[in-house]
Amino acid sequence: MSTVNFILNGKPATAESGKTILDAARESGYFIPTFCHNEQLKPFASCFVCAVEVEGRRTLVPSCSTEVLEGMVVNTENERVKKAQKTCVELLLSDHVGDCLGPCMTTCPAGIDIPGFISHIANGDDQAALELIMLNMPLAGSLGRVCTRPCETACRRQLVEEPIAICQLKRFPADQAELGSDYFSNIQKIGKRVAIVGAGPAGLSAAYFLQIIGVDCTVFDAHENPGGMIRYGIPSYRLPRDIIDGEVKIIKELGAEFRFGTKLGTDVTLDQIRDEYDAVFLGLGAQSASSMRTPGEELPGVQSGIEFLGKVSRDETLPIRKKVVVVGGGNTAIDAARTALRLGADEVSILYRRAREQMPAWDEEIDAALEEGVQLETLAAPVKIEQADDRLVLTCVRMELGEPDASGRRRPVPVEGSEFTMEVDDIIAAIGQNVDASMVSGLELTDWRSIQADERTGQTSIEGVFAGGDCVTGADIAVQAVGAGRRAAFAIKQYLLGEPIVGDPKTYNHSMGELDEIAGAVTEPFEKNARNPMPHLDPKARAKTFDEVETGFTEEQARAEAARCMECGCRDAHECALRDYATAFDVDPSRFSGSRRSFRRDASHEVLVYEEHKCIQCGSCVRACDELFESPCVGFAGRGFTARVKPALDRALVLIDNEHLPKLAEFCPVGALTLKTDSVATLNR
Amino acid sequence: MSKKIKISVGMSTCNIAAGSRKLFQSLEKKVEDGEINAELSIMGCLGMCHAEPQLRVTNTDGSETLYEGVNLPKLGKIVTDHLQSGTPVANWAVKIDERLDRQQRIVLRNSGRTNPEVLEDYLSNDGYKALESVLKGTPEQVIETMIAAGLRGRGGAGFPTGLKWKFALAEKRDKKYIVCNADEGDPGAFMDRTVLESDPHAVLEGMAIQAFATGANEGYIYCRAEYPLAIERLNKAIAQAEEKGFLGDNIFGTDFRLHLHIKEGAGAFVCGEETALMASIEGQRGMPRLRPPFPAQSGLFGKPTTINNVETLASVPWIIRNGADAYAAIGTEKSKGTKVFALAGKIKNGGLIEVPMGITLREIIEEIGGGTGTHRKVKAAQLGGPSGGCVPAELFDTRIDYDEVTKTGAIMGSGGMIILDETTCMVDVARYFLDFTQLESCGKCTFCRIGTKRMLEILTRICEGNGEPEDIDLLEELAVQIKDTSLCGLGQTAPNPVLTTLRYFRHEYEEHINQKKCRAGKCPNLCGFEITDNCTGCTVCALQCPVDAITGVRKEKHIIDQDTCVRCGVCRDVCKFDAVKVV
Repeated sequence: MSTVNFILNGKPATAESGKTILDAARESGYFIPTFCHNEQLKPFASCFVCAVEVEGRRTLVPSCSTEVLEGMVVNTENERVKKAQKTCVELLLSDHVGDCLGPCMTTCPAGIDIPGFISHIANGDDQAALELIMLNMPLAGSLGRVCTRPCETACRRQLVEEPIAICQLKRFPADQAELGSDYFSNIQKIGKRVAIVGAGPAGLSAAYFLQIIGVDCTVFDAHENPGGMIRYGIPSYRLPRDIIDGEVKIIKELGAEFRFGTKLGTDVTLDQIRDEYDAVFLGLGAQSASSMRTPGEELPGVQSGIEFLGKVSRDETLPIRKKVVVVGGGNTAIDAARTALRLGADEVSILYRRAREQMPAWDEEIDAALEEGVQLETLAAPVKIEQADDRLVLTCVRMELGEPDASGRRRPVPVEGSEFTMEVDDIIAAIGQNVDASMVSGLELTDWRSIQADERTGQTSIEGVFAGGDCVTGADIAVQAVGAGRRAAFAIKQYLLGEPIVGDPKTYNHSMGELDEIAGAVTEPFEKNARNPMPHLDPKARAKTFDEVETGFTEEQARAEAARCMECGCRDAHECALRDYATAFDVDPSRFSGSRRSFRRDASHEVLVYEEHKCIQCGSCVRACDELFESPCVGFAGRGFTARVKPALDRALVLIDNEHLPKLAEFCPVGALTLKTDSVATLNR
Repeated sequence: MSKKIKISVGMSTCNIAAGSRKLFQSLEKKVEDGEINAELSIMGCLGMCHAEPQLRVTNTDGSETLYEGVNLPKLGKIVTDHLQSGTPVANWAVKIDERLDRQQRIVLRNSGRTNPEVLEDYLSNDGYKALESVLKGTPEQVIETMIAAGLRGRGGAGFPTGLKWKFALAEKRDKKYIVCNADEGDPGAFMDRTVLESDPHAVLEGMAIQAFATGANEGYIYCRAEYPLAIERLNKAIAQAEEKGFLGDNIFGTDFRLHLHIKEGAGAFVCGEETALMASIEGQRGMPRLRPPFPAQSGLFGKPTTINNVETLASVPWIIRNGADAYAAIGTEKSKGTKVFALAGKIKNGGLIEVPMGITLREIIEEIGGGTGTHRKVKAAQLGGPSGGCVPAELFDTRIDYDEVTKTGAIMGSGGMIILDETTCMVDVARYFLDFTQLESCGKCTFCRIGTKRMLEILTRICEGNGEPEDIDLLEELAVQIKDTSLCGLGQTAPNPVLTTLRYFRHEYEEHINQKKCRAGKCPNLCGFEITDNCTGCTVCALQCPVDAITGVRKEKHIIDQDTCVRCGVCRDVCKFDAVKVV
């Protein structure tokens, strides 16, 4: 066999004569991307992502179909080539319509494979659903109850009627199934130890993922029990404590050690921990209550919402007096008010300075509180608090809404001379929480006094110290903290192994766009089918007990609700060459934005689905039909920008009678041709 | 028997479109009825499209009178005065070679002179003598002559014809093909159509010589179906030649044989690209493929194939008859012989011309073409169609030569030459050509399919007044990359009109983007029109305005109501007094 000598990227190289530049370069260990190249097919040279520079040639040449010749000088990785590769992918993306992952999934801060687990529930496989959730979310049962569900605001099903009850569906397998003890076997320990400060959602998440990826953890927490804000800030009628304990049990079984009643800065210092452990993760939370800035708020009988809920968490028989006012409009205010009712208060009202529409608390929670008898006093703000014997006199002022402020909400303005007073027994101020990082000296802080940490890795200003959750972001939702703990876990392992610290690698995600950009054809096949309501205890019966209010979907409801999922996302998201290169080349998909394909899905065939809007015109399917199946099942049609690959005679796939048709899916480098048996966007571990 | 007067009516597509069929039918009836005693014939196109229909009278003494711009009333007088009474109508008669002086006709030697449907006309002009003579020699001798003549492919790329034939001859295979590329697709180009309609045997003789030289015995003429008259005449010519033994088996009594087929193309521009063209003949979708292998190695049906353009093939018999030296004596060092151009756009004498290589653009445009024929100045010439570029008037001293033209950023191409004047917006011109190539891309290569569309979108938004300063950089970046990463000539040249207009008329792009102004008055969102003091109150503009935006008293200056005006520019086009200006 004869060989040719040539120069590859400045170095002498040899290859068998007759080899393409692509094969020769790959054999020498160089990476060249390809879309239209397929070993089983003849070279086609259409996508041009494999174009390389050959000295003496005017243009770049497609390496997939250019033979390497004696003396050739080939460059596969200079700027000209890289720029062409990136532009090629950007151009293809500009005419690619589809989602790699469902919008729910890309919105979820923890990155849970939502269409995947919902599909398992629909198929009756709760075990598989739980396992999939637990890849991203160690607190499935807890967050399945209390998550603020940003995913649902992105859910496309609301274009049909209402979003899928994603959060409540997540609770279902957590209640029904259990992870077997052998699920996390074969963990390779790396022999390093990490200290985690805070057993809240961020710390628990970091501990869980670190244990799974082979790093032993010790979790320190000032409280006597795990859960942080989801235990001490959320009442048990919303989140029963055995749910949290069950989830912490798994983390313990994975090997994490817990040291409760140990307060950072008092019982142990950061320096001590740093000396003893190879790395530190701070998940301190935002536990310091904001002030009402109202004279008299220091009086006995006035307390913060978080202080109140914390006390009740420790003792649900805590005495309370008759008339209680809660100040604030968030979920904590609602929680405090409903908890006060359960402790036996006769009259509980919520004072909020804007209107109900502006309340940050969820609508369902506000409704539940009202049903239980909580009163709402909106457009009113506290002015001063005075002691009157053993009671308190709260002076308020009426408010009206003025111009929008920085948050976009209309600013409440006091109405002059509208002061009024009320006599109350207890005042609970649920205004908000701040980060108190005073116990960790030496860390760089943000302008808001929270800990400065990298968003993707959690790295702080001190080497080996990572942070995440509310102590970094300020008071935020629990699922954000879980996501931050997860990202930090990967970054910490990278740090411990001396690898570049990049956190969880960022994968490119293509999107069809925001809700208002979604073509009617996407939702057209779906008939209206109302969201299943969450069953709950009767308001009268529940208002005096701490029994869990929401009782969970019945199996029938869960399956029916899961079946509503439209399965946004791509069946090929984890094998898609376009997505891989978009990630590898760090592309800007909007650089060449312009008109693009229309959504056109043909799901008529028994197993094969063709989504024309995702096709990149590589022609592999067309050539497979010609060269391998000798049957023109699909072909090119049209010219220019609107050229398309179409089933023969532009018929529905089901009308094409060819036994080979399903095989075409394996020739498609993207998700334009897929099999119905592949599930949508199921994450690989 | 006394010699009859001969009347030849121009019956090419362009003449027919101008009304010559009616003239022919009228004359035919008069001859039948015995009103005139003349031999009625047809002829092809002389190339003077601005002055059609034409008819030529060959008087009994052999002298000729050419009438141009003939219509039925004029014909009546020509019949009575000239055909019946023998007195030419002096006012309408033009000297045949008046506009041909600067031309040199090799390809168009018989166009507009002979009857393309009569073989004897071709034979009486030395037809098929070149073929007869080469058959007495060897293929190698033919190739030697072609190389010595220096003929380069007239389809656009300019590859030496002799070399191409040599490569094909070197392939030792039992079956070879020849192809005549008559898929003329550039907007405004009609050289090939005219040659096929006016002198089909010249192309057939060229093909026979091409086949002999390369060792082929079967050939295809790939002609677009939009040329029905060319196809009709080719079919007639092939039948005539086969009957006489100039085609078919045992040509001129030798064992050389050649069978020709006509393949009608459906009009895809990209099928002019040789690999796409061959795919189309094979019954495949017309999509280019990578070369190598070149057609000479593996072409039609996998066999060695030689593809030449119509104009190239029509030059071959002349070269054989007159010798390589005679041909090589014409032109420049690297570009020999003559080139046919289709003059179109803002030019007085639009039509087809054949000029020696080395002539300047200025001579073509100003002397042969007669300039714009209006008070407006020529601004640029678009050479080479959508694959070409705009050469500004400052560079009109550029000589017609493959390499000289390439230096300007344009290409020689197949010979389309569109003249642009001050009323042409250069951004709009680039947009126009890109719109064409974008639609005609086969859609195979990513950069050509999507990249040209993105360029078009950018150009469109610039023309609509929505351009951003960074758009120019984005256009240039895309243009360079599309040229770099497209499989065939369509993609590799599609950005040329944008690149050349950016090179020579960048200020117009910048005006569109930064000042939101179109100086040419072409982009409606970026211009307005005003009537100046030159106005004589002739009312023509007011009558022509489609939205009645112009008012004024006869013989007094008119006014355009800016709120009603839609900036179509018709007033400026119709004004004879240069009284409408762009603001």
